[in-house]
Amino acid sequence: MGPRLMAQTVTGPLGAEGRYWDALVLGHLELPRCVGCGRWHWPAVWRCGDCGAWEHEWQPRRLAGEVFAWTRTWHPFAGAEGLEKPFVTVLVTLSDAPIRLIGVVEGEAVDLRIGAGVIGRIDRTRFGDAAIPAIRWSLAS
Amino acid sequence: MNANLSGATAIAGVGYRQYKRGTAPLPERGVLVRAIVDACEDAGFDPADVDGFVSYGDDHNEPVRLMPDLGTKELTWSGMVWGGGGGGIAGAFGLAAAAILTGQATAVVIFRALVEGNSGRLSAAVMAHHLNDHMVGAGMVAPAQVCAMRAERLFDYHGVPRSVCEELVRASYHHAARNPDAVAHGKELDVNDFRTARWIAEPFRLFDCSRENDGAGALLMVSTERARDLKKPPVKLLGVAQGTEKGWGDLLENDDADLYATAGFRPIARRLWEQTGLTPADIDVVQLYENFSAQGVASLIDHGFCTYDNVAEVVKFDNLIAPTGKRPLNTSGGNFAHGFVHGIGLAVEAVRCLRGESANPVPGARTCLLAGGPGAPTVSSAVFGRD
Repeated sequence: MGPRLMAQTVTGPLGAEGRYWDALVLGHLELPRCVGCGRWHWPAVWRCGDCGAWEHEWQPRRLAGEVFAWTRTWHPFAGAEGLEKPFVTVLVTLSDAPIRLIGVVEGEAVDLRIGAGVIGRIDRTRFGDAAIPAIRWSLAS
Repeated sequence: MNANLSGATAIAGVGYRQYKRGTAPLPERGVLVRAIVDACEDAGFDPADVDGFVSYGDDHNEPVRLMPDLGTKELTWSGMVWGGGGGGIAGAFGLAAAAILTGQATAVVIFRALVEGNSGRLSAAVMAHHLNDHMVGAGMVAPAQVCAMRAERLFDYHGVPRSVCEELVRASYHHAARNPDAVAHGKELDVNDFRTARWIAEPFRLFDCSRENDGAGALLMVSTERARDLKKPPVKLLGVAQGTEKGWGDLLENDDADLYATAGFRPIARRLWEQTGLTPADIDVVQLYENFSAQGVASLIDHGFCTYDNVAEVVKFDNLIAPTGKRPLNTSGGNFAHGFVHGIGLAVEAVRCLRGESANPVPGARTCLLAGGPGAPTVSSAVFGRD
Protein backbone atom coordinates (compact mmCIF):
# COMPACT_ATOMS: atom_id res chain seq x y z
CA MET A 1 0.00 0.00 0.00
CA GLY A 2 1.16 3.53 -0.75
CA PRO A 3 1.20 6.47 1.62
CA ARG A 4 -1.99 7.55 3.29
CA LEU A 5 -4.18 9.34 0.76
CA MET A 6 -4.88 13.04 0.94
CA ALA A 7 -7.64 13.06 -1.61
CA GLN A 8 -11.18 14.22 -0.87
CA THR A 9 -13.70 14.56 -3.66
CA VAL A 10 -16.00 17.54 -4.00
CA THR A 11 -18.78 15.73 -5.89
CA GLY A 12 -19.70 12.08 -5.73
CA PRO A 13 -17.99 9.47 -3.58
CA LEU A 14 -14.27 8.78 -3.77
CA GLY A 15 -13.73 5.40 -5.37
CA ALA A 16 -10.45 3.52 -5.68
CA GLU A 17 -8.78 6.45 -7.44
CA GLY A 18 -7.53 8.45 -4.45
CA ARG A 19 -3.93 8.11 -5.59
CA TYR A 20 -4.87 9.73 -8.94
CA TRP A 21 -6.05 12.90 -7.19
CA ASP A 22 -3.03 12.98 -4.90
CA ALA A 23 -0.71 12.74 -7.92
CA LEU A 24 -2.55 15.50 -9.78
CA VAL A 25 -2.21 17.77 -6.77
CA LEU A 26 1.52 17.04 -6.77
CA GLY A 27 1.65 17.94 -10.46
CA HIS A 28 1.78 14.67 -12.35
CA LEU A 29 -0.40 11.88 -13.74
CA GLU A 30 -0.41 8.41 -12.19
CA LEU A 31 -2.66 5.55 -13.26
CA PRO A 32 -3.26 2.05 -11.87
CA ARG A 33 -2.05 -1.17 -13.43
CA CYS A 34 -2.90 -4.62 -12.07
CA VAL A 35 0.10 -6.35 -10.54
CA GLY A 36 -1.45 -9.73 -11.32
CA CYS A 37 -2.20 -9.49 -15.04
CA GLY A 38 -0.79 -6.14 -16.14
CA ARG A 39 -4.17 -4.75 -17.18
CA TRP A 40 -4.75 -1.01 -16.85
CA HIS A 41 -7.99 -0.15 -15.06
CA TRP A 42 -9.95 3.06 -15.42
CA PRO A 43 -12.06 3.80 -13.50
CA ALA A 44 -9.71 2.55 -10.79
CA VAL A 45 -10.74 -0.67 -9.04
CA TRP A 46 -9.89 -2.27 -5.72
CA ARG A 47 -9.98 -5.75 -7.23
CA CYS A 48 -9.04 -6.69 -10.78
CA GLY A 49 -12.21 -8.16 -12.25
CA ASP A 50 -10.14 -10.01 -14.84
CA CYS A 51 -7.57 -11.88 -12.70
CA GLY A 52 -8.83 -11.35 -9.16
CA ALA A 53 -5.70 -9.60 -7.88
CA TRP A 54 -6.10 -6.91 -5.22
CA GLU A 55 -2.87 -5.06 -5.80
CA HIS A 56 -2.37 -2.27 -8.30
CA GLU A 57 0.79 -0.39 -9.09
CA TRP A 58 0.33 3.31 -9.77
CA GLN A 59 2.60 4.30 -12.65
CA PRO A 60 3.48 7.78 -13.93
CA ARG A 61 2.07 8.41 -17.41
CA ARG A 62 2.56 11.27 -19.86
CA LEU A 63 -0.20 13.81 -20.42
CA ALA A 64 -0.28 13.21 -24.14
CA GLY A 65 -2.68 11.44 -26.45
CA GLU A 66 -5.23 11.82 -29.19
CA VAL A 67 -8.82 13.05 -29.33
CA PHE A 68 -11.39 10.25 -29.12
CA ALA A 69 -14.47 12.51 -28.92
CA TRP A 70 -15.32 16.12 -28.15
CA THR A 71 -18.12 18.63 -27.63
CA ARG A 72 -18.35 22.40 -27.43
CA THR A 73 -20.69 23.55 -24.67
CA TRP A 74 -22.68 26.73 -25.24
CA HIS A 75 -25.60 26.40 -22.81
CA PRO A 76 -24.97 27.85 -19.34
CA PHE A 77 -25.49 24.61 -17.45
CA ALA A 78 -25.58 24.89 -13.66
CA GLY A 79 -22.27 23.65 -12.29
CA ALA A 80 -20.10 24.88 -15.17
CA GLU A 81 -19.97 28.51 -14.02
CA GLY A 82 -16.21 28.22 -13.55
CA LEU A 83 -15.66 27.88 -17.31
CA GLU A 84 -16.22 30.64 -19.85
CA LYS A 85 -18.76 29.65 -22.55
CA PRO A 86 -18.39 28.27 -25.07
CA PHE A 87 -15.77 25.80 -23.98
CA VAL A 88 -14.57 22.60 -25.60
CA THR A 89 -14.30 19.31 -23.70
CA VAL A 90 -12.25 16.46 -25.12
CA LEU A 91 -12.02 12.80 -24.32
CA VAL A 92 -8.40 11.80 -24.88
CA THR A 93 -6.92 8.34 -25.44
CA LEU A 94 -3.54 8.43 -23.74
CA SER A 95 -0.43 7.62 -25.80
CA ASP A 96 1.12 5.32 -23.21
CA ALA A 97 -1.84 3.57 -21.56
CA PRO A 98 -5.15 2.22 -22.92
CA ILE A 99 -7.10 4.74 -20.88
CA ARG A 100 -9.23 7.76 -21.80
CA LEU A 101 -9.20 10.92 -19.71
CA ILE A 102 -11.47 13.91 -20.05
CA GLY A 103 -10.66 17.59 -19.84
CA VAL A 104 -11.25 21.10 -21.14
CA VAL A 105 -9.32 22.40 -24.16
CA GLU A 106 -7.34 25.60 -23.82
CA GLY A 107 -6.07 27.67 -26.71
CA GLU A 108 -7.03 27.32 -30.36
CA ALA A 109 -9.58 24.55 -31.05
CA VAL A 110 -10.60 25.32 -34.65
CA ASP A 111 -8.62 22.36 -36.01
CA LEU A 112 -9.86 20.03 -33.32
CA ARG A 113 -11.05 16.69 -34.71
CA ILE A 114 -11.15 13.05 -33.69
CA GLY A 115 -7.62 11.66 -33.91
CA ALA A 116 -5.87 15.02 -33.36
CA GLY A 117 -2.81 14.93 -31.08
CA VAL A 118 -3.08 16.77 -27.77
CA ILE A 119 -0.87 17.44 -24.78
CA GLY A 120 -2.04 18.19 -21.28
CA ARG A 121 -1.20 20.12 -18.17
CA ILE A 122 -2.73 20.13 -14.73
CA ASP A 123 -4.87 23.03 -13.59
CA ARG A 124 -7.93 23.50 -11.42
CA THR A 125 -11.61 23.93 -12.30
CA ARG A 126 -13.63 26.14 -10.02
CA PHE A 127 -16.83 24.48 -8.76
CA GLY A 128 -18.65 26.54 -6.17
CA ASP A 129 -16.09 27.26 -3.47
CA ALA A 130 -13.92 24.31 -4.48
CA ALA A 131 -11.11 24.06 -7.02
CA ILE A 132 -11.07 20.56 -8.52
CA PRO A 133 -7.74 19.32 -9.94
CA ALA A 134 -8.30 18.95 -13.68
CA ILE A 135 -6.43 18.39 -16.91
CA ARG A 136 -6.30 21.08 -19.59
CA TRP A 137 -5.60 19.84 -23.09
CA SER A 138 -4.22 21.73 -26.06
CA LEU A 139 -3.63 20.74 -29.67
CA ALA A 140 -0.10 19.45 -30.16
CA SER A 141 1.78 21.59 -32.66
CA MET B 1 -37.58 -18.38 -25.33
CA ASN B 2 -39.14 -17.55 -22.03
CA ALA B 3 -42.60 -19.06 -22.19
CA ASN B 4 -43.43 -17.90 -18.67
CA LEU B 5 -43.03 -14.27 -19.57
CA SER B 6 -44.36 -14.14 -23.08
CA GLY B 7 -47.83 -12.68 -22.93
CA ALA B 8 -48.69 -13.98 -19.46
CA THR B 9 -48.99 -10.48 -17.98
CA ALA B 10 -50.72 -7.49 -19.50
CA ILE B 11 -51.33 -3.79 -19.05
CA ALA B 12 -54.97 -3.32 -18.17
CA GLY B 13 -55.11 0.40 -17.55
CA VAL B 14 -53.11 3.58 -18.16
CA GLY B 15 -53.16 7.06 -16.70
CA TYR B 16 -51.10 10.07 -17.65
CA ARG B 17 -51.23 13.66 -16.45
CA GLN B 18 -48.85 16.19 -17.95
CA TYR B 19 -48.35 19.90 -17.30
CA LYS B 20 -45.98 22.62 -18.39
CA ARG B 21 -42.86 22.48 -16.26
CA GLY B 22 -43.45 24.26 -12.97
CA THR B 23 -47.25 24.41 -13.33
CA ALA B 24 -48.59 21.16 -11.84
CA PRO B 25 -51.79 21.90 -9.87
CA LEU B 26 -50.73 19.57 -7.04
CA PRO B 27 -47.46 18.54 -5.42
CA GLU B 28 -45.78 15.52 -6.97
CA ARG B 29 -47.43 12.78 -4.93
CA GLY B 30 -50.85 14.30 -5.51
CA VAL B 31 -50.33 14.24 -9.27
CA LEU B 32 -49.13 10.66 -9.04
CA VAL B 33 -52.18 9.51 -7.04
CA ARG B 34 -54.39 11.13 -9.69
CA ALA B 35 -52.56 9.25 -12.48
CA ILE B 36 -52.77 5.91 -10.64
CA VAL B 37 -56.51 6.31 -10.08
CA ASP B 38 -56.86 7.27 -13.76
CA ALA B 39 -55.13 4.01 -14.69
CA CYS B 40 -57.40 1.99 -12.41
CA GLU B 41 -60.54 3.71 -13.75
CA ASP B 42 -59.32 3.04 -17.29
CA ALA B 43 -59.23 -0.65 -16.39
CA GLY B 44 -62.33 -0.71 -14.21
CA PHE B 45 -60.22 -1.82 -11.25
CA ASP B 46 -60.44 -0.80 -7.58
CA PRO B 47 -57.26 1.15 -6.65
CA ALA B 48 -57.41 -0.44 -3.18
CA ASP B 49 -56.65 -3.82 -4.78
CA VAL B 50 -53.31 -2.70 -6.23
CA ASP B 51 -50.72 -4.57 -4.15
CA GLY B 52 -47.46 -3.75 -5.92
CA PHE B 53 -45.60 -0.69 -7.20
CA VAL B 54 -42.54 -0.36 -9.39
CA SER B 55 -40.60 2.63 -10.65
CA TYR B 56 -37.21 3.66 -12.08
CA GLY B 57 -34.91 6.64 -12.43
CA ASP B 58 -34.62 7.49 -8.73
CA ASP B 59 -38.33 8.32 -8.38
CA HIS B 60 -38.95 9.92 -4.98
CA ASN B 61 -42.39 8.48 -4.23
CA GLU B 62 -42.05 5.57 -1.88
CA PRO B 63 -45.03 3.27 -2.53
CA VAL B 64 -45.97 2.95 1.14
CA ARG B 65 -46.80 6.67 1.15
CA LEU B 66 -49.39 6.13 -1.59
CA MET B 67 -51.39 3.70 0.51
CA PRO B 68 -53.63 6.14 2.43
CA ASP B 69 -54.86 7.87 -0.74
CA LEU B 70 -55.38 4.66 -2.68
CA GLY B 71 -56.91 2.72 0.19
CA THR B 72 -54.34 -0.01 -0.39
CA LYS B 73 -55.31 -3.09 1.61
CA GLU B 74 -51.89 -4.68 1.67
CA LEU B 75 -48.65 -3.80 -0.07
CA THR B 76 -46.86 -6.99 -1.09
CA TRP B 77 -44.27 -5.79 -3.62
CA SER B 78 -42.26 -2.67 -4.29
CA GLY B 79 -39.14 -2.27 -6.34
CA MET B 80 -37.19 0.06 -8.54
CA VAL B 81 -34.76 -0.41 -11.39
CA TRP B 82 -31.39 1.15 -10.54
CA GLY B 83 -30.03 4.13 -12.41
CA GLY B 84 -30.63 7.87 -12.46
CA GLY B 85 -31.71 8.18 -16.09
CA GLY B 86 -34.53 6.67 -18.06
CA GLY B 87 -32.60 3.52 -18.89
CA GLY B 88 -34.66 1.44 -16.49
CA ILE B 89 -38.15 2.33 -17.75
CA ALA B 90 -38.83 -0.90 -19.64
CA GLY B 91 -37.09 -2.96 -16.99
CA ALA B 92 -39.71 -1.73 -14.54
CA PHE B 93 -42.28 -3.78 -16.47
CA GLY B 94 -40.03 -6.80 -16.02
CA LEU B 95 -39.97 -6.25 -12.25
CA ALA B 96 -43.75 -6.02 -12.19
CA ALA B 97 -44.18 -9.14 -14.32
CA ALA B 98 -41.69 -11.05 -12.14
CA ALA B 99 -43.78 -10.24 -9.09
CA ILE B 100 -47.05 -11.32 -10.71
CA LEU B 101 -45.67 -14.50 -12.31
CA THR B 102 -44.11 -15.65 -9.02
CA GLY B 103 -47.21 -14.87 -6.98
CA GLN B 104 -45.57 -12.11 -4.97
CA ALA B 105 -48.14 -9.57 -6.13
CA THR B 106 -51.34 -9.66 -8.17
CA ALA B 107 -51.81 -6.11 -9.44
CA VAL B 108 -48.76 -3.90 -9.92
CA VAL B 109 -48.64 -0.24 -10.91
CA ILE B 110 -45.59 0.88 -12.87
CA PHE B 111 -45.22 4.64 -12.37
CA ARG B 112 -43.01 7.70 -12.67
CA ALA B 113 -43.82 11.14 -11.30
CA LEU B 114 -41.94 14.37 -11.67
CA VAL B 115 -42.96 17.79 -10.46
CA GLU B 116 -40.22 20.37 -10.52
CA GLY B 117 -41.28 22.08 -7.33
CA ASN B 118 -40.70 18.79 -5.48
CA SER B 119 -37.92 17.04 -7.35
CA GLY B 120 -36.14 19.92 -9.09
CA ARG B 121 -35.02 19.81 -12.71
CA LEU B 122 -34.79 16.29 -14.05
CA SER B 123 -31.55 16.96 -15.92
CA ALA B 124 -29.96 18.11 -12.66
CA ALA B 125 -31.27 15.07 -10.80
CA VAL B 126 -29.99 12.66 -13.43
CA MET B 127 -26.60 14.31 -13.43
CA ALA B 128 -26.43 14.43 -9.63
CA HIS B 129 -26.70 10.65 -9.80
CA HIS B 130 -23.62 10.54 -12.02
CA LEU B 131 -21.60 13.61 -10.99
CA ASN B 132 -18.00 13.11 -10.01
CA ASP B 133 -14.91 15.28 -9.89
CA HIS B 134 -13.55 13.84 -13.14
CA MET B 135 -16.56 15.05 -15.11
CA VAL B 136 -17.13 18.30 -13.23
CA GLY B 137 -13.47 19.22 -13.67
CA ALA B 138 -13.98 18.89 -17.42
CA GLY B 139 -17.12 21.03 -17.36
CA MET B 140 -19.34 17.98 -17.94
CA VAL B 141 -22.34 18.67 -15.73
CA ALA B 142 -25.36 17.71 -17.86
CA PRO B 143 -26.55 14.60 -19.71
CA ALA B 144 -26.69 16.66 -22.93
CA GLN B 145 -22.91 17.11 -22.91
CA VAL B 146 -22.10 13.44 -22.35
CA CYS B 147 -24.52 12.42 -25.11
CA ALA B 148 -23.15 15.16 -27.37
CA MET B 149 -19.63 13.74 -27.23
CA ARG B 150 -20.93 10.30 -28.12
CA ALA B 151 -23.04 11.80 -30.92
CA GLU B 152 -20.00 13.50 -32.38
CA ARG B 153 -18.24 10.15 -32.52
CA LEU B 154 -21.35 8.49 -34.03
CA PHE B 155 -21.36 11.04 -36.84
CA ASP B 156 -17.71 11.74 -37.42
CA TYR B 157 -16.10 8.33 -36.78
CA HIS B 158 -18.90 5.85 -37.54
CA GLY B 159 -20.20 7.85 -40.49
CA VAL B 160 -23.87 8.19 -39.49
CA PRO B 161 -25.20 11.19 -41.43
CA ARG B 162 -26.19 14.10 -39.20
CA SER B 163 -29.34 14.55 -41.30
CA VAL B 164 -31.04 11.46 -39.81
CA CYS B 165 -31.54 13.35 -36.55
CA GLU B 166 -33.63 15.91 -38.37
CA GLU B 167 -35.81 13.14 -39.83
CA LEU B 168 -36.40 11.70 -36.35
CA VAL B 169 -37.23 15.04 -34.75
CA ARG B 170 -39.54 16.06 -37.61
CA ALA B 171 -41.51 12.81 -37.24
CA SER B 172 -42.02 13.44 -33.52
CA TYR B 173 -43.24 16.98 -34.13
CA HIS B 174 -45.49 15.81 -36.96
CA HIS B 175 -47.25 13.46 -34.54
CA ALA B 176 -47.36 16.00 -31.72
CA ALA B 177 -48.93 18.58 -34.00
CA ARG B 178 -51.88 16.15 -34.34
CA ASN B 179 -52.04 15.16 -30.65
CA PRO B 180 -54.20 17.51 -28.53
CA ASP B 181 -52.33 16.40 -25.39
CA ALA B 182 -48.91 17.30 -26.76
CA VAL B 183 -46.85 20.31 -25.80
CA ALA B 184 -46.25 20.95 -29.49
CA HIS B 185 -49.91 20.42 -30.52
CA GLY B 186 -50.81 22.42 -33.60
CA LYS B 187 -47.20 23.36 -34.33
CA GLU B 188 -45.25 21.75 -37.16
CA LEU B 189 -41.49 21.97 -36.70
CA ASP B 190 -40.01 24.61 -38.98
CA VAL B 191 -36.95 22.91 -40.45
CA ASN B 192 -35.13 26.19 -40.61
CA ASP B 193 -35.77 26.74 -36.90
CA PHE B 194 -34.37 23.27 -36.22
CA ARG B 195 -31.22 23.97 -38.22
CA THR B 196 -30.54 27.40 -36.78
CA ALA B 197 -31.71 26.99 -33.17
CA ARG B 198 -29.20 27.90 -30.50
CA TRP B 199 -26.44 25.47 -29.70
CA ILE B 200 -26.73 23.51 -26.46
CA ALA B 201 -23.63 21.30 -26.72
CA GLU B 202 -22.33 20.58 -30.22
CA PRO B 203 -23.59 18.74 -32.22
CA PHE B 204 -26.90 19.33 -30.40
CA ARG B 205 -29.05 22.38 -30.96
CA LEU B 206 -32.18 23.14 -28.94
CA PHE B 207 -34.59 20.84 -30.82
CA ASP B 208 -32.22 17.86 -30.58
CA CYS B 209 -33.00 17.79 -26.85
CA SER B 210 -36.03 16.41 -25.00
CA ARG B 211 -38.23 18.66 -22.96
CA GLU B 212 -39.04 18.52 -19.28
CA ASN B 213 -42.59 18.55 -17.98
CA ASP B 214 -44.40 18.19 -14.71
CA GLY B 215 -46.62 15.17 -14.50
CA ALA B 216 -47.07 11.51 -13.70
CA GLY B 217 -47.82 8.34 -15.58
CA ALA B 218 -49.11 5.02 -14.26
CA LEU B 219 -49.78 1.66 -15.89
CA LEU B 220 -51.67 -1.15 -14.17
CA MET B 221 -50.31 -4.66 -14.81
CA VAL B 222 -52.18 -7.87 -13.93
CA SER B 223 -52.10 -11.39 -15.28
CA THR B 224 -53.42 -11.55 -18.84
CA GLU B 225 -56.09 -13.94 -17.67
CA ARG B 226 -57.36 -11.40 -15.14
CA ALA B 227 -57.02 -8.54 -17.64
CA ARG B 228 -59.51 -10.25 -19.94
CA ASP B 229 -62.24 -9.61 -17.35
CA LEU B 230 -61.49 -5.88 -17.15
CA LYS B 231 -62.77 -2.99 -19.26
CA LYS B 232 -60.10 -2.61 -21.93
CA PRO B 233 -58.46 -5.20 -24.18
CA PRO B 234 -55.23 -6.47 -22.59
CA VAL B 235 -51.93 -5.23 -23.97
CA LYS B 236 -49.59 -8.12 -23.27
CA LEU B 237 -45.97 -7.91 -22.23
CA LEU B 238 -44.31 -10.23 -24.74
CA GLY B 239 -40.74 -9.74 -23.58
CA VAL B 240 -38.45 -7.47 -21.60
CA ALA B 241 -34.72 -7.19 -20.99
CA GLN B 242 -32.59 -4.89 -18.88
CA GLY B 243 -28.91 -4.66 -18.05
CA THR B 244 -25.44 -3.87 -19.24
CA GLU B 245 -22.66 -5.78 -20.99
CA LYS B 246 -18.99 -5.75 -20.06
CA GLY B 247 -17.37 -2.72 -21.64
CA TRP B 248 -20.42 -0.49 -21.14
CA GLY B 249 -21.61 1.32 -18.04
CA ASP B 250 -20.58 4.02 -15.63
CA LEU B 251 -16.93 3.98 -16.73
CA LEU B 252 -15.71 7.60 -16.88
CA GLU B 253 -16.19 7.48 -20.67
CA ASN B 254 -13.98 4.40 -20.94
CA ASP B 255 -16.61 2.24 -22.61
CA ASP B 256 -15.22 -0.13 -25.23
CA ALA B 257 -14.32 1.80 -28.36
CA ASP B 258 -16.86 0.02 -30.53
CA LEU B 259 -19.62 0.51 -27.93
CA TYR B 260 -18.92 4.14 -27.02
CA ALA B 261 -21.17 5.67 -29.70
CA THR B 262 -23.94 3.10 -29.27
CA ALA B 263 -26.90 3.56 -26.95
CA GLY B 264 -25.97 0.47 -24.91
CA PHE B 265 -28.76 -1.79 -26.22
CA ARG B 266 -26.85 -4.48 -28.11
CA PRO B 267 -27.21 -7.09 -25.32
CA ILE B 268 -30.75 -5.93 -24.54
CA ALA B 269 -31.87 -6.34 -28.15
CA ARG B 270 -30.18 -9.73 -28.43
CA ARG B 271 -31.98 -11.06 -25.36
CA LEU B 272 -35.28 -9.41 -26.28
CA TRP B 273 -35.37 -11.00 -29.73
CA GLU B 274 -34.23 -14.37 -28.35
CA GLN B 275 -36.83 -14.26 -25.62
CA THR B 276 -39.79 -13.34 -27.82
CA GLY B 277 -38.82 -15.17 -31.00
CA LEU B 278 -39.46 -11.89 -32.80
CA THR B 279 -37.17 -9.82 -35.02
CA PRO B 280 -37.15 -6.09 -35.76
CA ALA B 281 -39.19 -6.86 -38.90
CA ASP B 282 -42.03 -8.12 -36.66
CA ILE B 283 -42.39 -4.78 -34.86
CA ASP B 284 -45.28 -2.64 -36.14
CA VAL B 285 -44.66 0.54 -34.18
CA VAL B 286 -41.86 1.87 -31.95
CA GLN B 287 -42.06 4.10 -28.90
CA LEU B 288 -38.48 5.28 -28.79
CA TYR B 289 -37.06 7.03 -25.75
CA GLU B 290 -35.11 9.96 -27.14
CA ASN B 291 -33.33 12.09 -24.58
CA PHE B 292 -31.34 13.47 -27.49
CA SER B 293 -31.74 12.96 -31.22
CA ALA B 294 -28.51 11.07 -31.86
CA GLN B 295 -29.13 8.68 -28.97
CA GLY B 296 -32.54 7.87 -30.43
CA VAL B 297 -30.89 7.02 -33.73
CA ALA B 298 -28.22 4.95 -31.98
CA SER B 299 -30.98 3.05 -30.15
CA LEU B 300 -32.67 2.16 -33.45
CA ILE B 301 -29.31 0.88 -34.74
CA ASP B 302 -28.68 -1.13 -31.56
CA HIS B 303 -32.11 -2.76 -31.79
CA GLY B 304 -31.37 -3.91 -35.33
CA PHE B 305 -33.74 -1.69 -37.32
CA CYS B 306 -30.82 -0.37 -39.34
CA THR B 307 -27.02 -0.22 -39.41
CA TYR B 308 -24.38 2.49 -39.53
CA ASP B 309 -24.36 1.95 -43.29
CA ASN B 310 -28.08 2.04 -44.14
CA VAL B 311 -29.44 4.26 -41.36
CA ALA B 312 -30.26 7.08 -43.79
CA GLU B 313 -32.47 4.75 -45.87
CA VAL B 314 -34.46 3.65 -42.81
CA VAL B 315 -34.63 6.68 -40.52
CA LYS B 316 -36.60 8.82 -42.98
CA PHE B 317 -39.56 11.03 -42.12
CA ASP B 318 -41.88 9.18 -44.52
CA ASN B 319 -41.03 5.83 -42.93
CA LEU B 320 -41.58 7.09 -39.38
CA ILE B 321 -45.02 8.70 -39.50
CA ALA B 322 -48.44 7.20 -38.90
CA PRO B 323 -50.52 5.92 -40.55
CA THR B 324 -48.59 5.51 -43.80
CA GLY B 325 -44.99 4.98 -42.69
CA LYS B 326 -43.33 1.58 -42.88
CA ARG B 327 -42.73 1.63 -39.12
CA PRO B 328 -44.24 4.61 -37.33
CA LEU B 329 -42.38 5.90 -34.33
CA ASN B 330 -43.32 8.04 -31.33
CA THR B 331 -46.94 8.39 -32.35
CA SER B 332 -47.75 10.79 -29.49
CA GLY B 333 -44.85 13.10 -30.33
CA GLY B 334 -42.43 11.41 -27.94
CA ASN B 335 -40.16 13.08 -25.43
CA PHE B 336 -39.29 15.80 -27.94
CA ALA B 337 -42.76 17.06 -28.73
CA HIS B 338 -45.47 15.31 -26.69
CA GLY B 339 -43.74 16.02 -23.41
CA PHE B 340 -41.29 14.45 -21.04
CA VAL B 341 -42.07 12.96 -17.65
CA HIS B 342 -38.95 10.83 -17.69
CA GLY B 343 -40.30 8.82 -20.60
CA ILE B 344 -43.35 7.27 -18.91
CA GLY B 345 -45.54 8.91 -21.56
CA LEU B 346 -43.92 6.60 -24.13
CA ALA B 347 -45.03 3.51 -22.22
CA VAL B 348 -48.57 4.89 -21.96
CA GLU B 349 -48.53 5.60 -25.70
CA ALA B 350 -47.34 2.06 -26.44
CA VAL B 351 -50.53 0.76 -24.80
CA ARG B 352 -52.83 3.36 -26.35
CA CYS B 353 -51.37 2.74 -29.77
CA LEU B 354 -51.97 -1.01 -29.58
CA ARG B 355 -55.54 -0.39 -28.37
CA GLY B 356 -56.19 1.92 -31.31
CA GLU B 357 -56.52 4.93 -28.98
CA SER B 358 -53.55 6.95 -30.24
CA ALA B 359 -54.04 10.43 -31.64
CA ASN B 360 -52.01 9.10 -34.57
CA PRO B 361 -53.38 5.58 -35.07
CA VAL B 362 -51.32 2.84 -36.66
CA PRO B 363 -53.95 0.66 -38.35
CA GLY B 364 -53.67 -3.00 -37.44
CA ALA B 365 -50.64 -2.58 -35.16
CA ARG B 366 -50.10 -5.80 -33.18
CA THR B 367 -46.63 -5.29 -31.71
CA CYS B 368 -44.91 -2.28 -30.19
CA LEU B 369 -41.32 -1.90 -29.01
CA LEU B 370 -40.73 0.32 -26.01
CA ALA B 371 -37.04 1.24 -26.19
CA GLY B 372 -35.85 2.69 -22.88
CA GLY B 373 -33.57 5.61 -22.15
CA PRO B 374 -30.55 5.33 -24.48
CA GLY B 375 -26.97 5.87 -23.39
CA ALA B 376 -27.70 5.19 -19.73
CA PRO B 377 -25.37 2.80 -17.88
CA THR B 378 -28.30 0.39 -17.31
CA VAL B 379 -30.71 0.21 -20.24
CA SER B 380 -33.85 -1.79 -20.98
CA SER B 381 -36.47 -2.44 -23.64
CA ALA B 382 -39.77 -4.29 -23.86
CA VAL B 383 -42.15 -5.58 -26.50
CA PHE B 384 -45.90 -5.29 -26.05
CA GLY B 385 -48.52 -7.02 -28.18
CA ARG B 386 -52.22 -7.41 -28.90
CA ASP B 387 -54.10 -10.66 -29.29
